[in-house]
Amino acid sequence: RYVRQLQRLQLLFSPTAADARGARQFVEEAAQDFARQHPDVVLYVSPHSGPGPAPVLRAEYLNGTVRDELIASKTSEEIVQLATKLANQSGLDIIRIRKPFHTDNPSVQGQWHPLTNKPSILTVQGPRLQPQ
Amino acid sequence: RRSEKPNWDYHAEIQAFSHRVQENFSLDLLKTAFVNPCYIESEEARRRQLGLDKDAVALQLQDNSGLAERGLRFARAYLAQCFEGAYPELPAKGVEALVNFLTSRELVSYVAQNLSIQDLALCRDFPAPPDVLQRTFLAVIGALLESSGPERTGIFVRDFFIPQLIGKDLFEIWEVVNPMGLLLEELTKRNISAPEPRITRQLGVSTVLPVYFVGLYCDKKMLAEGPGETLLAAEEEAARVALRKLYGYTENRRPWDYSKPKQGLAAEKAISSN
Repeated sequence: RYVRQLQRLQLLFSPTAADARGARQFVEEAAQDFARQHPDVVLYVSPHSGPGPAPVLRAEYLNGTVRDELIASKTSEEIVQLATKLANQSGLDIIRIRKPFHTDNPSVQGQWHPLTNKPSILTVQGPRLQPQ
Repeated sequence: RRSEKPNWDYHAEIQAFSHRVQENFSLDLLKTAFVNPCYIESEEARRRQLGLDKDAVALQLQDNSGLAERGLRFARAYLAQCFEGAYPELPAKGVEALVNFLTSRELVSYVAQNLSIQDLALCRDFPAPPDVLQRTFLAVIGALLESSGPERTGIFVRDFFIPQLIGKDLFEIWEVVNPMGLLLEELTKRNISAPEPRITRQLGVSTVLPVYFVGLYCDKKMLAEGPGETLLAAEEEAARVALRKLYGYTENRRPWDYSKPKQGLAAEKAISSN
């Protein structure tokens, strides 16, 4: 069955800074809808008062990776899109995938090895029939 | 420990866990499932150290050992039933080896780690040792058994344990010392004559790395063929290939059928046989 890999989202923002305006709007309008649509993600909203660090959305995944996304000067819709993108990701590192395909069964009829098409020693070769 | 870092709400995390796994739990059972005996002892020791009264020292929490035992018994019975249904030729020792592998400490703790049980489990040491994780996960299965009944728990066990067998070969899991003897037993059960090993192909006989293909023939018909470095190794490998074919556990068998849930009759048999 499908298990969503996002464990929790922490929204750290400051209630007075100017660049956290989108974050504040998100908390007022869209955060409850987001939480209702994704019941398996725990959403923590923690405003830290005063001029603190930049507003950040921290995502923690089931395999332990923690990903921070800056949300300074983003509108509420953009934050919703970002949150859904993080919710649909898995916690694997975002690196270049070497090949876009992978199979666990590389060969269906058996991999070729130098003896595949050679007849076995036990097959008896009869005398050559004369052409009639 | 994650529970000691900022932003942690235990109740919300437990609700999110039940949604993540798409199962309805009764939350009290689930909370008792996460409480380990070592946690209770460490809490009582800490309270005694802080100098509280005797009444305050005794915690009101129950362990998860009863739930864990029930979960383990159900999981073993259900998995044994699954394998007997899917591979009817496999002998009892093989089924037991598969079930032991699937409920072994490493596998269960690996599954538990990736389901965030290591954050929710209450235990004494950090990071939680694998037997604690195993006990907690089995207790979760036991709690699910109590809350939703055997059918849903069976589907849960099937969805989380059987994919761990993908890509694994039978004899990696089941250690067989004498495959030839086992093969002879199987053939006598089916009334087929004893196999006759013959060399089918050979390459590089006089080099450092010879390859011999030994085929096992019963009544002049080929049963199986296996490669090996020496003649003995090739014969053993051919016996293993023959056993795999007989038990239906080859690499090209049909993949596991996850489509419809098992009938209620089968699940109740699992419970009543405990």
